[in-house]
Amino acid sequence: MMKSYFGIYHISTGAAPAECSVLVFDKKMSIGYRTADGANHTAHWPLQEVQASYELSLQQTRVRHQGAELFIEGKDAAAFIGEMQEEIKKPWHKKKGSKDWTRNLLLLLTLLGGLVLLYFLIVPWLAEKMASNVSVNTERQLGDAVYDAMGLSGSEDTAASFVLNEFFAAMEVPTAYSVRVTVVNDNVVNAFAVPGGRIVVYSALLKQIQSYPELAALLSHEFTHVNKKHSTKSIFRRLGSKVFIGLLFGRFGSVTSVLINHADDIKSLTYSRKLEKEADIEGLELLMQRKIDAKGFEDLFRHLQQAAPSSSLPEFLGSHPDIDKRIAYIREASKSAVIEEDQRLKTIFEKLKQ
Amino acid sequence: MLITTTSAVDGRPVQEYLGVINAQSIIGANIFKDIFAGLRDVFGGRSKTYERVLEQAKEDALRELAEKAQALGANGILGVDLDFETIGSGGSMLMVIATGTAVRL
Repeated sequence: MMKSYFGIYHISTGAAPAECSVLVFDKKMSIGYRTADGANHTAHWPLQEVQASYELSLQQTRVRHQGAELFIEGKDAAAFIGEMQEEIKKPWHKKKGSKDWTRNLLLLLTLLGGLVLLYFLIVPWLAEKMASNVSVNTERQLGDAVYDAMGLSGSEDTAASFVLNEFFAAMEVPTAYSVRVTVVNDNVVNAFAVPGGRIVVYSALLKQIQSYPELAALLSHEFTHVNKKHSTKSIFRRLGSKVFIGLLFGRFGSVTSVLINHADDIKSLTYSRKLEKEADIEGLELLMQRKIDAKGFEDLFRHLQQAAPSSSLPEFLGSHPDIDKRIAYIREASKSAVIEEDQRLKTIFEKLKQ
Repeated sequence: MLITTTSAVDGRPVQEYLGVINAQSIIGANIFKDIFAGLRDVFGGRSKTYERVLEQAKEDALRELAEKAQALGANGILGVDLDFETIGSGGSMLMVIATGTAVRL
């Protein structure tokens, strides 16, 4: 905002008047004048320090600042200076333009809020919905692709795999999936499920298993991951968020690598804790329906804990619920369980241990 | 201070020419203004948001021009010309160049 005027400037009261050009800005005014010796000067006056009034008798605006005086024709200058002085005095939120800022800030917050909502709630929800509609056949193909992408280093222990498949078949779990258990020779104490029915158990974990209820607990836990499409859901969720990020930042190249990246994650069992708990609880139900001792879960957890002391991480940082908590809710849920020895499973298990 | 696009002022002959002066103002419309203007582009109509940015850039350039003239002891600027350009990647910023002759009337 700027206005310009012509005026008569008195450098001090009683000094010779000089013609001047006056520029009034939003916070200051500047007076350009030439002294008798021909030199150019510019005086700068902060607007909050000047007194401006309209002199009716002179029909002129009179502006004073530290003993200097300025006369400008008409009353427009007085009005404009007054207006600018008012603006300076206003608190920041009432100043011109601050409304724009408030609106922009609100818009930004809404935009960010919307994106956060979309990323953390809507995209995962949609992805899970899509995952639930994937057919068993497609899941199986997806699972094979993931399994191949893993490139497991260890060789398969076919004999053990055969016995484990027999064991699982003997559990008589009704499912739409054709569950295939594969035992891989490796010294990692772990097991995981890939989409479509494949369960991978590492030989090191198998060695630690001491009873058939423990093996039943492991298989029923992993089976629940398969049956509840946990892997497929987490692959879809991740794919969803990658697509979203890709759309937002315009990079799609990374989307294709999701499958391969995810292979590693499944290996290290990074389902969410919610899914793990679901697998525990539903797996336990399978055990209880078959009157298998729920202590199998406890033993399994203990063996896993011994093998992975790194789970000293606080629960919220880990992918699995805290072992003690898992044992606690398993105990709670299996209070009234009836236990009967299953000779058939026991025999198969003993075959494995021979 | 008299600022005009004409080369002379009626009834006030030029007493002294103080030289050609210029001033520029480069201003970026923020991302929100771009969004609003983008909507205008889709739905049609005048884009007040961009107009305000342009107005601001023009004012800033003229203000700087006037200050430069004043520092030279001028009380007028003749033949003022305003040039508008877009610069920056994708023409996202506006540049206004004001040129004129500082004079003493």
